Amino acid sequence: MPFAEERIYSVTDIVGEVRRLMEKGYASVAVTGEISNLRRASSGHLYFTLKDEAAQLSVVCFRSTAARAALELADGLQVVARGRLTVYEAQGRFQMVAEALEEAGLGALERRFRELVSRLAAEGLFEEAAKRALPRYPSRVAVVTSPTGAAVRDIISTLRRRWPCAEILLAPVPVQGAAAAPAIVAALEALSVARAADVVILGRGGGSIEDLWAFNEETVARAIRRCTIPVVSAVGHETDVTIADFAADRRAATPTAAAELVAPLCGEVERAVAALEGRLQGRMASALALWRARLERLLESYALGEVRARIERGLQRLDHAAERLSREVAAMVRARAGTLEARLAALAALDPRAILERGYAICADRTTGRLVRSRAEALAAGRLRVTFRDGDVPARVEEGSA
Amino acid sequence: MTDMTEEQQKIGLEEAMARLEAIVAELEKGEQTLEGALARFEEGLALGKRCREILDRAQTRVRELLGAAEDGSLRTQEWQDER
Repeated sequence: MPFAEERIYSVTDIVGEVRRLMEKGYASVAVTGEISNLRRASSGHLYFTLKDEAAQLSVVCFRSTAARAALELADGLQVVARGRLTVYEAQGRFQMVAEALEEAGLGALERRFRELVSRLAAEGLFEEAAKRALPRYPSRVAVVTSPTGAAVRDIISTLRRRWPCAEILLAPVPVQGAAAAPAIVAALEALSVARAADVVILGRGGGSIEDLWAFNEETVARAIRRCTIPVVSAVGHETDVTIADFAADRRAATPTAAAELVAPLCGEVERAVAALEGRLQGRMASALALWRARLERLLESYALGEVRARIERGLQRLDHAAERLSREVAAMVRARAGTLEARLAALAALDPRAILERGYAICADRTTGRLVRSRAEALAAGRLRVTFRDGDVPARVEEGSA
Repeated sequence: MTDMTEEQQKIGLEEAMARLEAIVAELEKGEQTLEGALARFEEGLALGKRCREILDRAQTRVRELLGAAEDGSLRTQEWQDER
């Protein structure tokens, strides 16, 4: 019974089965070849043949896909078609349904991008040496971006959070389309001429290479370099790189990262100021200690009466002041307890000038300006300057004092 | 209390911090006269105060650039966003 189990298909069945097999096996393929025999049906669908030296493949591109394709299709064009294989059952032909079409090799924009990068790089526009340092503590930050995108919101909220003492100047510009590059150039120019900020953030959120194109324009790159204010670029996501990024003084991966780069953390700066104030006070404490030593020496040489009593009072005051000062420094180390005003007032109270108010004077060598701390120093100096609370008088060691 | 000069009242944080740092470094070298040290100390106090004044500004102001005049000056307005 050689044919007992033979299955006899109808044409419809066999073609249908081949179609299903093909659709399952080639649901997503990319095919490169040259377009030929391109026809546009009245329905708007496109039909063409993709061919290479040895074979050809029928392709249909439905109207919606054809409208989305960025490139101008024409016979002879090398393309990459992405889509699925199927069988057109009515004619028993297999064909490809293209869902996306792009130019083979580098796209046109990609080519322009590379050409411009190498030309501007050769010109030195991207030189590291030309890049300016960002200010450490910007008081005015300009933001050149779309006023409606997520980027502006990210930048403003990051600046607010980290560095609320800065003023933000938003230069609203379109960030895609033909108007974008001229508007960006004009904004950079205006900010630059008016010196309206300490640093500029230029950016936008992510998008396709077409969306980001304004940031690849030569005019924008040149405007960035011409800008007298340092520019931080923040275009798209981490992976998007534009010519603006190369030209900018610093590149940030995202708009939020740009704001973080530009703005220090307010709390850290407050701590830095407190540390400097601490050192200032520490230095003044040593100056007070020097004074104390000097008064003690005076005490030894003026053993008598009223002068001695005054010096003793002065010493007490100094001791008192030194105690207060060390308490102040300790208080600051304890996470800045107390208000600034209180601390500054306490410091002002330590001002050695207050001691001049109480009748002491400072004696210095008139020639060198150095303090005269001893009889021997005074004799050596000869010409002195004595400072009272209300000013100096020149003085001279009398002949024969030695 | 130490009075700030007009100039110190106007300078920005960048400059105030730089000057304060320079003064502290100078004082720590300890080369100057007592008067000099006093003057620098007072200046340092005023600068520290200026730094804090700036840091204590309550809220970020956001202004919007409207355009530039012939002389290069900018026209701006308070940014009314929160769209």
